[in-house]
Amino acid sequence: MSFERIIFYAFAAILVYAAGRVVTARNPVHAALHLVLAFFTCAGLWLLLEAEFLAIVLVLVYVGAVMVLFLFVVMMLDINSAPLREGFIRYLPVGLAVAALMLFEMVAIVGVRYFGPDQVAIPARHPEGYSNTAELGRVLYTDYVYPFEIAAVILLVAIIAAIVLTMRRRPETRYQDPAKQVQAKKADRLRVVKMSAEKKQ
Amino acid sequence: MPLETAEYLLALPEIWVLGMACLILVLDLFIRDDSRILTYLMVQATLVVAALITLAVQVPEPVLAFGNTFISDGMATLLKLFIYLVTGMGFLYARPYLQDRGLFKGEFYVLGLFAMLGMMIMVSASHFLTIYLGLELLSLCLYAMVAFNRDSGTCSEAAMKYFVLGALASGMLLYGISMLYGATGSLEIAAVASAIGAEEGSSIVLIFALCFIVVGLAFKLGAVPFHMWVPDVYHGAPTPVTLFIGSAPKIAAFAIVMRVLVDGLGGLVADWQGMLVILAVLSLAVGNVIAIAQTNLKRMLAYSTISHVGFLLLGVLAGTPDGYAAAMFYTITYALMAVGAFGMIILLSRAGFEADELEDFRGLNARNPWFAFMMLILMFSMAGVPPTVGFYAKLSVLQAVIQVDMVWLALVAVFFSVIGAFYYIRLVKIMYFDSPTDEAALQSNPGLRAVLSVNGLAVLGLGLFPGGLMALCSAALL
Amino acid sequence: MIALSDYLIIGAILFAISVAGIFLNRKNIIILLMAIELMLLAVNMNFVAFSYFLDDIAGQVFVFFILTVAAAEAAIGLAILVVLFRNRQTINVEDLDSMKG
Repeated sequence: MSFERIIFYAFAAILVYAAGRVVTARNPVHAALHLVLAFFTCAGLWLLLEAEFLAIVLVLVYVGAVMVLFLFVVMMLDINSAPLREGFIRYLPVGLAVAALMLFEMVAIVGVRYFGPDQVAIPARHPEGYSNTAELGRVLYTDYVYPFEIAAVILLVAIIAAIVLTMRRRPETRYQDPAKQVQAKKADRLRVVKMSAEKKQ
Repeated sequence: MPLETAEYLLALPEIWVLGMACLILVLDLFIRDDSRILTYLMVQATLVVAALITLAVQVPEPVLAFGNTFISDGMATLLKLFIYLVTGMGFLYARPYLQDRGLFKGEFYVLGLFAMLGMMIMVSASHFLTIYLGLELLSLCLYAMVAFNRDSGTCSEAAMKYFVLGALASGMLLYGISMLYGATGSLEIAAVASAIGAEEGSSIVLIFALCFIVVGLAFKLGAVPFHMWVPDVYHGAPTPVTLFIGSAPKIAAFAIVMRVLVDGLGGLVADWQGMLVILAVLSLAVGNVIAIAQTNLKRMLAYSTISHVGFLLLGVLAGTPDGYAAAMFYTITYALMAVGAFGMIILLSRAGFEADELEDFRGLNARNPWFAFMMLILMFSMAGVPPTVGFYAKLSVLQAVIQVDMVWLALVAVFFSVIGAFYYIRLVKIMYFDSPTDEAALQSNPGLRAVLSVNGLAVLGLGLFPGGLMALCSAALL
Repeated sequence: MIALSDYLIIGAILFAISVAGIFLNRKNIIILLMAIELMLLAVNMNFVAFSYFLDDIAGQVFVFFILTVAAAEAAIGLAILVVLFRNRQTINVEDLDSMKG
C-alpha cells in the first residue's frame, strides 16, 4: 500500500466519522466542532487532488469565518438542546434505512463499475512549478468574469439582508454624537448656585 | 481573451439594473421617511429604462458572450420584458400595504431589484454556473424578503422553512450538476448537449444526474411531491412578498427548465418526459384537491399555484416546439393572473387587517361591484373558463399534449381542472351571493385601483385576442 | 494510486449522511443548517475529483463559487434564525406550526 493510499484512507475515515458526529451530536457546539474537523480533513483530501487553492480557502473561509459564525449564533441563542433531541431515536431506524438505501444506490452508480481505475485513467501529476492558484486566477478574471461579478452581487445581497433582518436600534442604547459634544456650552452643563455660606456642624 | 465592448452591450440590461440597485441603496440612506416615495419612483423608472434597454440591445440570432456563460436570444428578451412588467406591478401593489404597516423601506425595493437581477441572469444563462448563481441570487433575496417583517413570528417561521428547503433543493441540483459534469466533461449547456448527443443511447450515469437535477428543479418550482414549502411560505409571508414570489420567479423558473432540460439535456427527452409526467399528474391532483379544503385565500392560491405548475410541466413534457410555446404562454399569463389575485387581497386589506380569509370576500359585489367583477375575471381565468386567457392557455397546453399522443394525460388534466374550478367558483359565489359582514367601503389609493382594473381587463383582453402573445412566444423559441 | 471512484464514494457517503442528518434532526434547525453545509461539501468533493480526473479547471471554478454562495447563504440563514429566535424564543421546528392546512 502506497503512502498516498494510507493518507487517503486515514483522512477519509476521519472525514466520515466527523460527518457522522455532526448529525448525531447531542450538543450543537460539538456538532459545529466536528464540522470543523470534517472541513479540515476534506481540505487534506483536496490537496491530494491538487486543488491547493480551494483546500486553503476551505480552511480559511469555512473554518475561519462560517463556522465561527455558527458558533457565535449557537452561543448567543442559548438553546436548550434537550427537547430538540426528542424524536431522534424514534426517527433513527427510518433515517438510517433511508440513508443506507440511498448510499447503496449511489455507490452502485459512482463506484468502480463506471468510475473505477479501468474506466477513468489516473492523470499524471502536474509538473513542478505549476501553480493551481495562478491557473484559477487566470480563468476567474477572463472566462468567468461574468459569474465572478454575480458572486460579488450575491455577497452584497447577503450583507444587506443580514443587516436588514437583524439590526435594531434599541431605545436604551446611548450613542455618541460628536457634533453635539462640540457644540455644548458651559452654560448647558454648569449651573452656578448662589447660596450663603454654611457653618460646619 | 480580451473582452469586447459588444459583449458588455449585450448584458447592458443587467448592468443597468445592478448599477441602479446599488445607487438606490446608497441614495435611500439620504432620503427622509416622509419622502420615501422618491426611492419607489426611482425603482419604477429603473424598470422602465431596463425594458427600453432590453429592446434596444435585442439580437436577431442567439449570441453567446462572456466565455459562453451568457446568452442573448429571443426567449431571454421576451421573458425579461415580462419579468420587468410583473415585477413593476408587484412593486406598485406592494406600496400601500407596506406604507400602512410601517414597512415602507428602501431595502424592500432594493432586495426586489436584486431578486429581479437574479431572474434576468437565470433567463439568459448558458452555463450551469450562471444558472446556479442566478438562482441563488433570486433565492437569497426572497428568503430575506419573506422575513422582512421582523416582528412577525409567522413571517420568520415561513422564511426559515423556505430557507431550509430551498438550500436542500440547491444541494440536490448541485449534486446532479456535478454528476453531469463528470459524465460530459463540461458545464456549458451547449457543450453538454453535444456530449449527450454524441453518446449512444443514454448512459445510467446521465440518468442518475438527471434524477437529481429534476428533483432540484421540482423543489424550486414547487411541484408535488416537493411542494411542502409552498403553502406555508405563501401563507406566512407578507402579502406583497407572496405576490412577488408567486409571479415573476415562475417565469424565471420556466426559463431554467427550458435551458437545462430542453437546451442542455434535450438528448434525454425520453427519460425526463416520464419524470415530468409523474410530477405533473401529482401536482394537478394534489394542488386542486387540497385547495378545496382551504379557508385561507393565500393558502388556496398556493395550492392553485401547485396545480398551475402541473400545467406548465405538461407543456414542457410534450417535448415539441408547440408545447414549449404553450408552456411559455401559460407561465406568462399565469404570472399576470397571480399578480392580480394577490393584488385584490392587498386592495381589500388595510392597516391591522389582512383580507386573506375567504370570509373577507363575502358580499364584495355589494361593497364594490367593479372590483368584484375584476376578481371574477381573475378567478374564471385561473379556473380556465372562456373567454378569459386562462382558458386559452390551458387549451394550447392540452393541444400540445394531444399532438404527441398522450390523450390520457390530457384527460387527467381536464378532470382535475374541473375539480379545481370548484374552489375558484366558490369564491365567486361568496363574493356575489353572500351578504357582506364588513360594510366598510374600500379604502385604497387610486393608482392601485387603476392598475388592478388594467390587470383584470388585460386577462380578459388576452383571452379574446391571444394570437399576438402566442405568436411572440412561438417566435421567441425559434 | 487512488481512483476516481474512491473520491466519488466519499462524496456519496457525505451526501447520504447529510440526508440522514436532515431526516433525524428535523427539530433542531442549527444542526439542519450544518447538515446542509455537509451536503455542499459532498458536492464540492465531487467537483474537485472530477476536475482533477478530467484535467479541467472548470470544476474547481464551480467549487470556488459554491463556497462563496454557501458563505452568503449561511449568513442569511443564521440571520433568519436569530430573527426567529427573537420572535419565538425557540428554534424547535415542532413548535413552528402556527400555519396549518
